[in-house]
Amino acid sequence: MLKTPDWHMLIVWYFFLGGIAGGAYFTAAIADNFGGARDRSVVRTGYILSLLMIGVCGMLLILDLGTPSRFLNMMMHFKFWDPMSIGAWMLGVFGLFAFVSSALSLSPDEGRAALRRKISLVGIIFGFFLASYTGVLLSATALPFWSDARLMGALFLASGASTGMAAISLLLYLSGDSAGEGFRKLKRADRFAILFEMAVLVLFLVLLGSAAAPLISGPMAPLFWGGLVVLGLVIPLLVDVLGARWVPAVIPAVLVLVGGFILRYVVVMTHA
Amino acid sequence: MARTLAMFTDTSLCIGCRACQVACKQWNELPMEEPQWTGSYQNQSHFTDKTYRLVRFIEKPQANGELQWLMMSDVCKHCAQAGCLQACPTGAIYRTEYGTVNINQDVCNGCRYCVSSCPFGVVAFNHDTGRANKCTFCNDRIHNGLGPACAKTCPTESIQFGFRDELAAKAEKRVAKLKEMGYSGAQLYGVDSNGPLGGLNAFFLLLDKPATYNLPEKPLLPQRNVLVDSVLSVGAALLVGVGAVVAFRDRGGKGAGDA
Repeated sequence: MLKTPDWHMLIVWYFFLGGIAGGAYFTAAIADNFGGARDRSVVRTGYILSLLMIGVCGMLLILDLGTPSRFLNMMMHFKFWDPMSIGAWMLGVFGLFAFVSSALSLSPDEGRAALRRKISLVGIIFGFFLASYTGVLLSATALPFWSDARLMGALFLASGASTGMAAISLLLYLSGDSAGEGFRKLKRADRFAILFEMAVLVLFLVLLGSAAAPLISGPMAPLFWGGLVVLGLVIPLLVDVLGARWVPAVIPAVLVLVGGFILRYVVVMTHA
Repeated sequence: MARTLAMFTDTSLCIGCRACQVACKQWNELPMEEPQWTGSYQNQSHFTDKTYRLVRFIEKPQANGELQWLMMSDVCKHCAQAGCLQACPTGAIYRTEYGTVNINQDVCNGCRYCVSSCPFGVVAFNHDTGRANKCTFCNDRIHNGLGPACAKTCPTESIQFGFRDELAAKAEKRVAKLKEMGYSGAQLYGVDSNGPLGGLNAFFLLLDKPATYNLPEKPLLPQRNVLVDSVLSVGAALLVGVGAVVAFRDRGGKGAGDA
């Protein structure tokens, strides 16, 4: 009989927002380095969003501890094979990159922009790390549902990418900046991320085999199929591919975010 | 490192008196908890933050229709390769000079990662203290030359405590004898230092296959997955990254004009 770590909503929110932080950062960094001047709003929104999210993430993690006043004890050791240990360190490193990139993105100075691009090229690595290590962390437990597929990291990374891009889209829409070139590119990138996430999810379920039962036919099944697969993946993709103009551009982004949250929820709450 | 200390639980000698369970509670000052209906004499159904030592009662129907009553006093295995110890990010979980695995209550911050990293579901989270805890092999006692409370109190010597190499030899002899006596299912669990988890420092003599006692046939170290999942994540990152680069790439003239 195995035990679950008793992780609940704080961890669901952390996995969700941490994915957005990582995804938003590497999206912004890629737009910064490979895009053009018209993508500036994507870049700035992405960096600042990742900074805000990582701040919230840190607080969620501290609150979840049994003894929150001892959160710094995580910094007494560095175990390179232990996702929880590296994760605690990388949270700080990522926060630093998000802070510097955000600060530099506020300056119109071209010299600083060049520096920002160089810094963010390194930061991309930590963005990818943040979006995926939470999945690897679950893989490194004794619980079969979390660990058997050994694809949780890739799945969370794909979801972090699609939700990070969707979160930037949502913010651009809300600030009335959804007609520009950046917004269209973002949609294109998100389309690919969603397709990739679907592929990883299928592979994940196949590899998991019978351990996937609680998800695909158990109590989480309605939420998984209805919430994640249909609402969070298929519908946003269909709206995008069919170019349904009567659907406001913000709807797919919101649905992707809802799907990303449901993914973290069903995974964390399923302890089989 | 001092010579490894170990616990050998010979379930063929267990009479289910639960003196070990009580002695453990007494010595470690573990408070009472709500009893659980488990369908047998067993109580609790599994290790908790207040139950480090637990006698399992298993009623197994036999071919002739009669019930075989199996009893097993279960405990933390103090694995040579311990998932909880590997998982602990604060270093609160450590190995003593005797080879046992302990949780330093003054360092643990209650992240609970160890709880799901134990292949046997031993480590538990204490909501009152906000820390994880488990059996220590009575760390205070063994550092003062006394055996763990459970082994000390066992009236049938089903639980024996001592040097690992000596106990392992004893166990091999005992299992051979039982087989001779006709107990065909008798087998050792966790004694082999080259076996799963590098051997268990609390090993068992079972009268049936491990699954009957709710023990995993081949317990695995959870951290074995880190490398594979990390490599797959890097692959996923490359694919997602290339997709985003393609999407954002400036196609000459379009966005470059006003850069």
